Amino acid sequence: MASRTPGTRRTGIAMKPAPFRYHLATDLPDALSALAEPDAKLLAGGQSLMPMANFRLLRPSVLIDINRVAGLGALAQQPGGIRIGALSRHATIETAALIARAHPILSHAMTHVAHPTIRNRGTIGGSLAHNDPAAEWPMLVLLLDGALTLASRRGARVVAARDFLTGPLATALAQDEMVIAIDLPDSPPGTGWGFAEIARRHGDFALAAVGVTLRAKDGCIADPRIALTGVGDTALRAGAAEAILNGQRPDAVVVAAAIAAIRDVLHPMTDLHASAAYRRHLAGVLAARAIRDAWRRAGGEA
Amino acid sequence: MTFAEARPRFVGAPIRRLEDPRLLTGHGSFTDDHAPPRCAHVAFRRADHPHARIVAVDTEGAARAPGVIGVFTAADLAPLVRPLRATSRMKEYHATEILALASDIVRYVGQPVVAVLADSRYMAEDAAELLDIAYEPLPVATSPAEAVAPGAALLHPEAGTNVLLTRAFTRGDIDAAFAAASVTVSGTFRLGRKTPAALENRACLAEWDHARRALTIHAATGIPGVLRDALAECLDLPGTRVRVIAGDVGGSFGGKGSVYPEELAVAALARKLGRPVKWTGDRMEDLTATSQAFDEIVTAELALAADGTMLGLRADVLGDIGAGSIYPWTAALEPVQVVSFLPGPYRIAAYAARVRGVATPKSPTGPYRGVGRPAATFAMERLVDLAAARLGLDPAELRRRNLVTAEEFPYRTGSGLIWDRAGFQESLAAACDAGNYAALREEQAIARGAGRWFGIGLATYAELTGIGSRIAVAPGMPINTGTETSSIRIDATGAVTAAFGIAAHGQGLETALAQVVADALGCRIEDIAILQGDSALVPSSTGTYASRSAVIAGGAGALAAREVRRKLLRAAALLLEVAEADLDATDGIVRVVGTDRSLTFREIARAVYSEMGRIPRDRREDLAASETYDPYLGTAACATHLAVVEVDPETYHITIRAYYVAEDCGRIINPLIVDGQVQGGVAQGIGAALLEDVVYDGAGQILTASFVDYLLPTAAEIPPIGITHLELPPPDNLLGVRGMGEGGTIGAPAAIANAVADALGLAITDLPITPDRLFRLLASGETA
Repeated sequence: MASRTPGTRRTGIAMKPAPFRYHLATDLPDALSALAEPDAKLLAGGQSLMPMANFRLLRPSVLIDINRVAGLGALAQQPGGIRIGALSRHATIETAALIARAHPILSHAMTHVAHPTIRNRGTIGGSLAHNDPAAEWPMLVLLLDGALTLASRRGARVVAARDFLTGPLATALAQDEMVIAIDLPDSPPGTGWGFAEIARRHGDFALAAVGVTLRAKDGCIADPRIALTGVGDTALRAGAAEAILNGQRPDAVVVAAAIAAIRDVLHPMTDLHASAAYRRHLAGVLAARAIRDAWRRAGGEA
Repeated sequence: MTFAEARPRFVGAPIRRLEDPRLLTGHGSFTDDHAPPRCAHVAFRRADHPHARIVAVDTEGAARAPGVIGVFTAADLAPLVRPLRATSRMKEYHATEILALASDIVRYVGQPVVAVLADSRYMAEDAAELLDIAYEPLPVATSPAEAVAPGAALLHPEAGTNVLLTRAFTRGDIDAAFAAASVTVSGTFRLGRKTPAALENRACLAEWDHARRALTIHAATGIPGVLRDALAECLDLPGTRVRVIAGDVGGSFGGKGSVYPEELAVAALARKLGRPVKWTGDRMEDLTATSQAFDEIVTAELALAADGTMLGLRADVLGDIGAGSIYPWTAALEPVQVVSFLPGPYRIAAYAARVRGVATPKSPTGPYRGVGRPAATFAMERLVDLAAARLGLDPAELRRRNLVTAEEFPYRTGSGLIWDRAGFQESLAAACDAGNYAALREEQAIARGAGRWFGIGLATYAELTGIGSRIAVAPGMPINTGTETSSIRIDATGAVTAAFGIAAHGQGLETALAQVVADALGCRIEDIAILQGDSALVPSSTGTYASRSAVIAGGAGALAAREVRRKLLRAAALLLEVAEADLDATDGIVRVVGTDRSLTFREIARAVYSEMGRIPRDRREDLAASETYDPYLGTAACATHLAVVEVDPETYHITIRAYYVAEDCGRIINPLIVDGQVQGGVAQGIGAALLEDVVYDGAGQILTASFVDYLLPTAAEIPPIGITHLELPPPDNLLGVRGMGEGGTIGAPAAIANAVADALGLAITDLPITPDRLFRLLASGETA
């Protein structure tokens, strides 16, 4: 993932942002209070926000800098799962021992998120709130059945990832709400994972990416989860393919059926980098690879 | 007389670049680093229509915005600055004008229309948004095919056609060649549109000196002398009152090798307002309004005898030149070079080719690393591989049979170029040796047996570099590009100043020229200050482009340094009371050979300049000289590239497994710099082959206006490159060097294309090759 600005008709005016005010939030209530202002925007890592502001595609009235809000970047093991503070940087997830233990797919997937300099700044909350159709984080929280805690002056609420991601660059966030944490339930012991992504260049937005988790039980697949990104309006779960795999041996026929089911439900876009047909093809190829890797990591027989 | 450089100490040595300490520690001085007081900052409002009539411009809101100093349209600038016009001696050429701001008609998205000056760039951009420009859209013919069609919408109606230039080359009996052929192969090859994407965007700062009534312009340019001459003309000022300084410049690749509308506007406005005016282009401006590159459609056919002998080559080239001419190179530079260089390093008796340059409503194309030759080499080298397949010959063997051999030099090509002796055959052999070609073919056979898509691609090319005054760098261009001047002096402290007209922008020329001068003069590198990038240093210079600076400026530096050395030794001979022939200069010390007697440069300088009486008055002469070098002819530089690729049979992702370059650049001044140039050039060639593509839609809107959509190669996409330098007799110019700044970009697109075609058995005709294009090609079932 890199910062992306949606295709736009260029007027050739701007690389400097329109005037805005800057508010350095001291704590969460202060940030939420400031966020109540119309057209206020939160500044976390700024990796998508600042380019969009510089192109004047966004004209925030005030940028609320939450980088110094204490506690927003914490990682914690909790009963039944881990909690990732929204201000956690991609680089933190990439390297944290807690993550490697609980969800190694995240540690690996982070190496596909743009480049180290961007991963040092960009945040998980920011990526989810931005919800780029080809970003990794929306797909990962969907895959891992995550839930997001959203806060506003009106209080906090918890929204499942599948309900949070509503469309391209759109989420369930109200204008005055911010993501403060992401909860990921622990995967059962023995869970194997696979992750496959193809981008034009390493670190670019995915042309297609697939994440898979599953377990091996009596030589068959159990609890398969498959999520994709880059191949639709927003990240998605491949429910039909999961159902096909569940309880089956991952032989060629079963995997082919699952791949066909995945390709059936996709509505990828065509852009300068790839056609819809290629993206659909690629999603199937990558899904097969990710399923194979997950099966191997789950200790399944070859 | 013998010269110190007969025993070079510095030329040939891997001297670390003298520029790098300042550049790498943030002490460089780029145009935007200059921040004079009272500076006005410019934001240009640019055309958002590809072709339209400007009906009205309402500047009122912008003029009243906070911080605004002034708002200027074409009408405001017309009395201040004349248009530029690059004329040509070519028949069938229609010159087009370059205006500071678009007047009446806009011809590409990104063309500057209104200049807003404010106290800061932020304020200028805020105000530029408030401009209200009414356009009447005009019809567009955006593809070259549409633009050449009868009845096409005309971009320059006064030309009566969109075909702004036509040229043909013929040699030998082409029909007889094809009639005699056992095999003919043909294809239509398209090399996409590229943009230079230098690290530093274009920028200029103009300051008007009231006392001297003179302009000083700091500009990110590679051609300060040309810009000085153009501004003197357009602003009607003598050259003594226009000085262009190109300090540190962060890359060009051709993009900073032309005179631009923004430079005319900024200079005119600084003079009018009597205060500094600065414009620093942003990346969007760079991607839309810096000269672009290539965009050639080459239809070509090659005739061969049964033994593989090339008999004849036919070609029809259609170059999309964009909205019109750039200055001073004309619109002919890129497309005509394609046809000039298409026969390449091969012996081909008959050649017939036509080129047309067609205007479309896009940013003008201009010089770009390789100019014409990347497209020519791509087309020709694809034909060679197609012919090899048809003949059942190995691609390397077919090249070997047709490359011009050592005894055939000087060789005149079908387009009239003259190749001096260069290592065409030797580069092929060396690249195959370096890559272990025979073993690669064996590895390929095994890989194919295992279902892997593994390809090997060769490309051999020749280019003309260091071109002297016999021909202009751009065909038909009426300015001299064949000479450079160097002015060298030893001052009263014994220190050496060597001034040049060229303008480096990252090539390490300060280092390379210091090496040349140090050897010719007999001093140390650290004794020398190299001055360059300033129009005031020498009477005339066209700058740094076209792989010319080492050959021509280096030659001038050697000539001037030799003259200064003669003067130095004459003075030393008088002081030491010995014959000049008994003296030698090294490390800044003149020694009496075979004795322990010596004088330092400093001691000699003091005697010459300060200690009157030590040298007889009528024998005293300044330790200074100015010399101009003209190599007259150009010199061939050549290389063979060998690429090994693997394509994923499922994802079509292309991986470059290995890459080799064997090149002949003559005598090497600095191997570190030469290797860096080869590596950088290959990286850009890989970009052209796999990633970079400027895309306009059918309505003429540019779709690649940011680096999200215009993909440059990064370190992750560039493999290690094995470089072999051929050690062959040097060319017959003063230093024995060949220009080598562009070659990497010339060979790489062809080598990668051939490797991918070899891996897939597909007819690769369009670059860049993307996984999506391979997917669609395979789906369509086309094979070579």
